[in-house]
Amino acid sequence: MISAPWVCCNCLSRTGKTLFRRSLRYQSTATSGNVPKALLTRARDIAIEHKVLSEKLANGFDTRAAKKLGEYSPIVNALGKWDKASESVTELTSLIHDSTTDSELRSLAADDLEETRAQLAAASQSLITSLVPVHPFAHLPCLLEIRPGAGGSEAAIFAGDLFRMYLAFCNGNGFRTGILKYENINGTSEAGVPLSEAIIEVESDDAYGVFRCEAGVHRVQRVPATETKGRTHTSAASVHVLPSLQDNSSVQEDFDNPESDYYIDQKEVKVEVMRASGAGGQHVNKTESAVRLTHTPTNTVVAMQDSRSQHKNKEAAWALLRSRIAQSRREKREEEMANMRRSVIGVAKMGRGDKVRTYNWGQQRVTDHRSGITVHGLDDVMEGGQTLSKVMDSVRGWLMERDVEALIAEEAEKK
Amino acid sequence: MPRIGNSLLRKAHALDPFLPALLAPCRDIHAAQNELRWLRQHVDRVAKARRARGDTLAKGSLLRQLVSERASGKPLQYILGTEYFGDLEIRCRSGVLIPRQDTAASVTNLVRLLRDAQKLPPELRLLDLCTGTGCVPLLFRHELYTARDDVDLHILGVDVSPKALKLAHYNMQRAHRSMPRGKMRLIRADVVLNPFADQDGDALPLKVALNHSGLPPFWDILVSNPPYISPSNYWTTTTRSVRGYEPKLALVPPSIASQSDTEQGDLFYPRLLEIARDVEAKIVLLEVADLDQAQRVAQRAHNLSIFDGIEIWRERPDINTQAPAGVDNVSIIGEGNARSVLCWRGAGAAWLGKATASAGRDDALRLFRSYGHLPHGDASQAGTSPMEPQFDWPTTPPSEQDLPMAFHNARIARRSRDRFRERLSRRGTGLWTDHPYPEDYYFIRTSFGLQKRRRKP
Ligand SMILES: C[S@@+](CC[C@H](N)C(=O)[O-])C[C@H]1O[C@@H](n2cnc3c(N)ncnc32)[C@H](O)[C@@H]1O
Repeated sequence: MISAPWVCCNCLSRTGKTLFRRSLRYQSTATSGNVPKALLTRARDIAIEHKVLSEKLANGFDTRAAKKLGEYSPIVNALGKWDKASESVTELTSLIHDSTTDSELRSLAADDLEETRAQLAAASQSLITSLVPVHPFAHLPCLLEIRPGAGGSEAAIFAGDLFRMYLAFCNGNGFRTGILKYENINGTSEAGVPLSEAIIEVESDDAYGVFRCEAGVHRVQRVPATETKGRTHTSAASVHVLPSLQDNSSVQEDFDNPESDYYIDQKEVKVEVMRASGAGGQHVNKTESAVRLTHTPTNTVVAMQDSRSQHKNKEAAWALLRSRIAQSRREKREEEMANMRRSVIGVAKMGRGDKVRTYNWGQQRVTDHRSGITVHGLDDVMEGGQTLSKVMDSVRGWLMERDVEALIAEEAEKK
Repeated sequence: MPRIGNSLLRKAHALDPFLPALLAPCRDIHAAQNELRWLRQHVDRVAKARRARGDTLAKGSLLRQLVSERASGKPLQYILGTEYFGDLEIRCRSGVLIPRQDTAASVTNLVRLLRDAQKLPPELRLLDLCTGTGCVPLLFRHELYTARDDVDLHILGVDVSPKALKLAHYNMQRAHRSMPRGKMRLIRADVVLNPFADQDGDALPLKVALNHSGLPPFWDILVSNPPYISPSNYWTTTTRSVRGYEPKLALVPPSIASQSDTEQGDLFYPRLLEIARDVEAKIVLLEVADLDQAQRVAQRAHNLSIFDGIEIWRERPDINTQAPAGVDNVSIIGEGNARSVLCWRGAGAAWLGKATASAGRDDALRLFRSYGHLPHGDASQAGTSPMEPQFDWPTTPPSEQDLPMAFHNARIARRSRDRFRERLSRRGTGLWTDHPYPEDYYFIRTSFGLQKRRRKP
């Protein structure tokens, strides 16, 4: 049985145009024309199922079959192209090696072979891409939560730097943003004032797919502005990436479906509003508008007080609570899956506690510890420029490799 | 008020030099930080607006000034000029009471019940007495319109204060611009004035004012957040900022010779309930100060014997905890301090999703009989009259002398209602702006009857 949701080519190309810039490396796995054997088997199984379904559909409409068919056809198409390219390569190769081929034809074939090989490589990539299950939240807008980690006020200043970095990145790349929460420790949004917590909502579709690689601990190495002896400090800020479920009708339909990640039983949420103790009513003209939600089964607490409107705070708190719960449910399932796989292959886990990237001011470099990339335009990274895109691309590529490995492991397990 | 400790002040100062000053009105650091942030955002907005006009503004000095105003107790809502009320942003100005979150919670809960009603009249009339900023009917309208498009709301806000009316007018216009539906209207009237007493003040009793403005005498829903604080509670229970900056007229009912402290605090309720009866309101929602007052109001409403049900709502009536019905079947709903009293009769029961009420004829008879309970207007005969009511009005009314004055007035008003309806249909929908500000005119009682006078500028 194939249970993972399948990526649709179109979605993926929207999610990350540059997702697959680097070619994938599979040293240890058997490959056939660049596609790991296990994946090819999987694709062929799907093609067979696709055929069965098509026939079934010809005899009468069935929504589920139609949906499955829609999910499979990109794979079947990709497989078709791959087969064709692979056939051509074989044909040309045998032509070249055939001693009866005349020399003129052979040199023509040699010319063609080069191009056909390139085609095969491209077809391999799209076949692999089509097979990798897309993250179930990838199409959603997302929330970026930024908080200072270890390192005192320098960490809080760095958290503010990350906040501006992501905002600039969003501005430069056409992502709409909203600020759900911004708390400097003194209530301003000036640069250099330590940040205590910020939540950016990236409202564009597919934002989760783009930003999910940013989750984790970001480390900074520099001489803090407050340091008088010129010593370099190491501090950190953490970034959480949550799916945003606001204003997404397809997701909101799932709000009432107890099976879905987005479902929250209203009865399990304690809503508290700040009110001055005492008589209330006309007797007081308080300004407290804070709202606190507690999801009792998971003890998840969300508090919002940014807006003067209690109503807006409540809405924002609900949105955040839904996102956090959906994310933690998803993480739990991912962890279970990872544990299952770990016996077969060491799948790198990308948890929220792991150090993912280092920003080094002294050497003006940024290193991502997952993809291993190091870039030198630190300023451009901090300004959310092309260099940051490059780092993020490399992490997405790395993630894709992990997914492919997982897929192969899964196939191997089936045997 | 207890002094704020030095360590807290030092901590606040370390965070921001403006914070210590804000600790006085806010009491805790989180609240002070929030207020400082909102003040800064406000200053930024003001500066931006000035820049757009080509002016410059010293942001630092404006902020310093606002912080010091706030530190001296001036409500933040007056400084920033707005308050949020449910989903709405309402303009505030000193001289008019700041809308309270508790009031919004009651209004929201009322509409929450109405939204699910199977059937509402296509033209629903809402009367808000003591409207202040106009926040109550505006939130009602907003909440109802976002849920239903099969109802047209006609709203009338009443207040005695010209300042309040001016502000309410502004708020209504703004709301109408952003959602041009239904009708809204404001009049100046005094809801506690006995319509039959001679008056020398320049505000008319409500009934007379309705009549004079050609407004309908019958309203489906009556809501009110009247002044309800007794003189002693004013000194012991209200905060300093309320006493120092908000109008006493909006908080404490006027004093009348030989009434107790509690009676003064309750002054509006008997009048409001009478008005509810006169306008034949199907639903009545009155805000109150606490559980004791709620129970007194519920008792009075009960004694009127026109209602099919009475409930007391706490500050958070949406939370489904219901105390067992106590005296006279009045249940207490929600959490927090008791905040309002809800009464319903006739069709109102179905609108609220409550168990069905008495039949139409019984309701009309009951309404008619209840005039026997009127404190003014001798209605002993009318109350026991064996007449068969039809519709909501007796076919053969008793002779003019026998009728209670309230009936008499209502009949006059009823005639004018038809005129009014005709005018409405000619005018189409929209905000009724062809009336001048209510405070441009006043009425005096002369030997020729009531006379309308234009105020001299
Ligand atoms: C407690 S405020 C309520 C304002 C508004 N409804 C709210 O909830 O924010 C009471 C209002 O009643 C008005 N008022 C006081 N005495 C009145 C009277 N005798 N007749 C009509 N309105 C009166 C005051 O001007 C004030 O605006």
